[in-house]
Amino acid sequence: MSPRRKKFLIAVADHSLLIAAAIMFLAPFVFIVLTSLMTNNQALSSKLWPDPFQWGNFAEVFHTAPIWRYALNTSIYAVLATIGVLVSSIPVAYALSRLRWRGRDAVFVLVLVAMMLPFQVTVVPVYVLFSKLHLVGSLWPLIIPNFLGDAFSIFLLRQFFMTIPEEYADAARVDGCGELRILVSVFLRLAKPAIAAVALFEFLFCFNDFFGPLLYTSEDPSNWTLSLGLAQFRTIYQVQWNLTMAATLLFMAPVIVLFFLAQRAFVEGVTLTGVKG
Amino acid sequence: MSSTPVVEGPRALAGPVRDRRRARRKAAWRRRALVLGLMSPWLVGFTVFFGYPLVSSAYLSLTHYDLLSPPRWVGLANYRFLFQQDQQVWPAVKNTLWLMAIAVPLQVMFAFGVALLLTRARRGVGFFRTVFYLPALAPPVAATLGFVYLLNPATGPVNVILGHLGIEGPLWFNSPTWSKPSLALLGMWGVGNLMIIFLAALIDVPRHLYESALIDGAGPLQRLRWVTLPTISPVILFAVVIGVIESLQYFTQAYVAASVATGQAASESAVNLGYPENSTLFYPVLLYSQGFRYFNMGYASAMAMLLLAVALTITLLILRSSRLWVFYQGAGRR
Amino acid sequence: MQRALAVLLVVVASVVSAGCMGDDSSDNSAAGTQTTDKTPVTITFWSPFTDREQGVINNGIARFEKAYPWIKVKSVGAITADKITAAIHAGNAPDVAAMFETDNLGAFCNSGAWTDLNDRIDADKLDMEQFPKTIRDYTAYGDKRCAMPLLADAYGFYYNKTLLQKAGITGSPKTVDELADYAKRLTQRNPDGSLKIVGFDPLLNWYENAPVHWGPMWGATWMKDGKSGLSKDPAWEEMLRWQKKLVDWYGYDKLVRWQAGAGDEFSPSNAFETGKVALILDGEYRTAFLKAEHPEVKYGTAPHPTSKPDLYGSGFVIGTIMGLPKGAKHAEAGWQLLKFMATDTDTLAEMSNGLHNVPSTIESQNSPKLTKDPLFATFLDIFKNEKSSTQPVLKIGSQNQTLFTSFIEKWQAGRVKDEDLHAGLENVDKQIDAALEQAGGEVP
Repeated sequence: MSPRRKKFLIAVADHSLLIAAAIMFLAPFVFIVLTSLMTNNQALSSKLWPDPFQWGNFAEVFHTAPIWRYALNTSIYAVLATIGVLVSSIPVAYALSRLRWRGRDAVFVLVLVAMMLPFQVTVVPVYVLFSKLHLVGSLWPLIIPNFLGDAFSIFLLRQFFMTIPEEYADAARVDGCGELRILVSVFLRLAKPAIAAVALFEFLFCFNDFFGPLLYTSEDPSNWTLSLGLAQFRTIYQVQWNLTMAATLLFMAPVIVLFFLAQRAFVEGVTLTGVKG
Repeated sequence: MSSTPVVEGPRALAGPVRDRRRARRKAAWRRRALVLGLMSPWLVGFTVFFGYPLVSSAYLSLTHYDLLSPPRWVGLANYRFLFQQDQQVWPAVKNTLWLMAIAVPLQVMFAFGVALLLTRARRGVGFFRTVFYLPALAPPVAATLGFVYLLNPATGPVNVILGHLGIEGPLWFNSPTWSKPSLALLGMWGVGNLMIIFLAALIDVPRHLYESALIDGAGPLQRLRWVTLPTISPVILFAVVIGVIESLQYFTQAYVAASVATGQAASESAVNLGYPENSTLFYPVLLYSQGFRYFNMGYASAMAMLLLAVALTITLLILRSSRLWVFYQGAGRR
Repeated sequence: MQRALAVLLVVVASVVSAGCMGDDSSDNSAAGTQTTDKTPVTITFWSPFTDREQGVINNGIARFEKAYPWIKVKSVGAITADKITAAIHAGNAPDVAAMFETDNLGAFCNSGAWTDLNDRIDADKLDMEQFPKTIRDYTAYGDKRCAMPLLADAYGFYYNKTLLQKAGITGSPKTVDELADYAKRLTQRNPDGSLKIVGFDPLLNWYENAPVHWGPMWGATWMKDGKSGLSKDPAWEEMLRWQKKLVDWYGYDKLVRWQAGAGDEFSPSNAFETGKVALILDGEYRTAFLKAEHPEVKYGTAPHPTSKPDLYGSGFVIGTIMGLPKGAKHAEAGWQLLKFMATDTDTLAEMSNGLHNVPSTIESQNSPKLTKDPLFATFLDIFKNEKSSTQPVLKIGSQNQTLFTSFIEKWQAGRVKDEDLHAGLENVDKQIDAALEQAGGEVP
């Protein structure tokens, strides 16, 4: 055995557990991809390798359901909600971290409580409220609350703002900046990673959200999001498994692409929630 | 906001002092206005989407309400039904407890184990990290659909492969014994976020602690037990806490898995929630079905109040213990 | 910050204006007046039909639009009962809604989600006797009539002639004992012991195997003196014991595994259509699916087998129902559509030919325009059989079936001991009664 080969084998042995784990993590993706390329009969058989490869499935999916419509709705929801969260939560987080005022800690505890309580606790009256406003059936009940502060984002941003040394703000104050200018010119710049993380999380949350769209938009198919539409694939339309898996892949793709584009923001953001938070 | 008239100071006060005071007061008012302005989105949001609903929920829980006719006072009838008659409540509570007691610890241990494995890798850390993280990105609806197919008892790849190994695989999502473990597997697959958090914490463990342990002759297991675990215990606590909170709202995966695994058309789906045999009927699922399928909104509100009581207890416990990790971490970060 | 406020204001403004624009002025007042108001109007019609079936319904609607040229109908398909319920409760109801789940009618009538049509029926002097009695039964809750029928369904047996011939069986079973015998003889297994072809799948909760559809085979009844009577009618116990015996013969696990690979009910991979099951209980609409998706299958239709000979020929009867949701904006135009779709003989015949559903008036059942098809005629006969029965209309909708079904799931999986069956059913009764009480208690 050549030394290089030996070295390689040792490396493999050294990492054998890791490799085994990696295979297990990847296997579901592999099988979903394979199934998405099968014929329906084959998807219902015990054969694992597509024969023949039916690439047309991906185009076919777009005929089974109005995927573009779903995608558009999902984008509207996710983009508006993300804007809303940023616009409303940054000032709140700033007031909770950098300004001193009576009752601040109590309010912060309330934010924490709101963050930790399951949303099901308040879901009935909120639904009633939106139905009285004749907004059930539209995307608005999903979007509007985000413009009024999101506890998790406030919490995250507040934690990050706390870590920014006071000297930066002081320096700006010496230059004669008002608090708003300080927020905009100093903190927004320094807190970019945290803001990016908050935006990313909110976007992903909306993209993945199922309960909200199920509750508020399910009665109007023209307002369905991808999550909701895909969940109905099997139940209402009884779409075949191969097409369902193709749609599943199409649904995962944007997030995975986003991840590779913004890998650093992802990892930093996640770490922020855990360690720094 | 309207500014209250500034109270006049004693006449004796010299002009400049009074002016300074006035200026200070004015500044204080401006500060207050600023705080109020900054806080206003949250104030409105908290009132409309949290404060009011809590009060309203408490009231509705004492009524019969279907949104079509005005709420009708029924006293404690909903609570009596909840605690004494509704035989679906106890399975739902038990299933939710199962998540907290079994699925959450499993997930935390698994994430920790994977992170630990990663710290030992000498090559391709970036590659492996990406591989382990990717499933966490799969939207829950998509991941659940995928798993229901993968774990199809007859034709799913998992049972096909097990079959080739001479093992008859379980019925997974079609069996009341295996449906929750299947959901737990799904959760473990998407454990990436936790894994990243653990990885960051593990890397942060000061090297000198290991070195001194090594000098004391500690083996790998002892180092894990006496150095690693104590150092990252706040992170473990955090992971458990998040897991418990999430269990209280577990919905999407259960809903999708149950409705898809039955293989029945949607017209039968009223029957499907909790399939099979109520084994995936979690508390939020039951609340949803009472509130938004049968529109027993009074009863759903009573269920929400019970959930509130439980969640509040847990939250308060966490907040008490969390001074450790919430307030200190900010100051003492890397 | 200023930008934040601006956005906030915009949002608040949009909430407020949307709240104001919601038009509450539905013309409920018009009830009864012979409509001469021919102002053009567009109404929304929600139905659960998809694909091919929705096309047939739309053809029927086109006929309506021709007869009532000032009314345009926007037809939306694939709407389940859940969504209709949600929309009505949230105040977003369509003008006319149709649904398969007749079970919900009681809940809809009781809560007022669907409006009572009696005034309109009286004003228009609509003859209700043109509908067969079973239909009149399942479209009313107490003395409230909140629904009109949109074609009807009858349930019977389908048998795969090729598979039966191979096993040396000549026709559909007439008794449940015969059914059990045939089921075994028709079953084929793979070398590894798993099921290849199932004679008859006895697991409830699969395809149309629901307690409501099976009950008539044993002549079982749901209610007794206004309360749930599952434990009081021995027919249910007889049915469940018969079922369990056959399940055990197959092996519960084996059946579940087989079902998991059997294909979806309303897709071209339906197990009967693909020859994976030889005998099946299904509605008359399956004949249309077979014709459209698998014309090559050689099959026959017959009434389902029964436990008592005198029941033979009867079956479960139900139908799609339509109603006017509370808060509908164009109730008068909606009523015209309702009336037309429920009673126009030619339209009914045409839709029946397309969907292979049972036409819902006596006149249309005898219409010469109805295609003569012996496979389908079986179901017309079942429908007309006077022992055929339907399900009770309860104010808790299908909750009673949900509760019963979750007990049956345990039973068929072998997690209820045989001697505990009666006690188990008593407990189900108790739960149903409690739900009935909880759902309002008062008189409808």
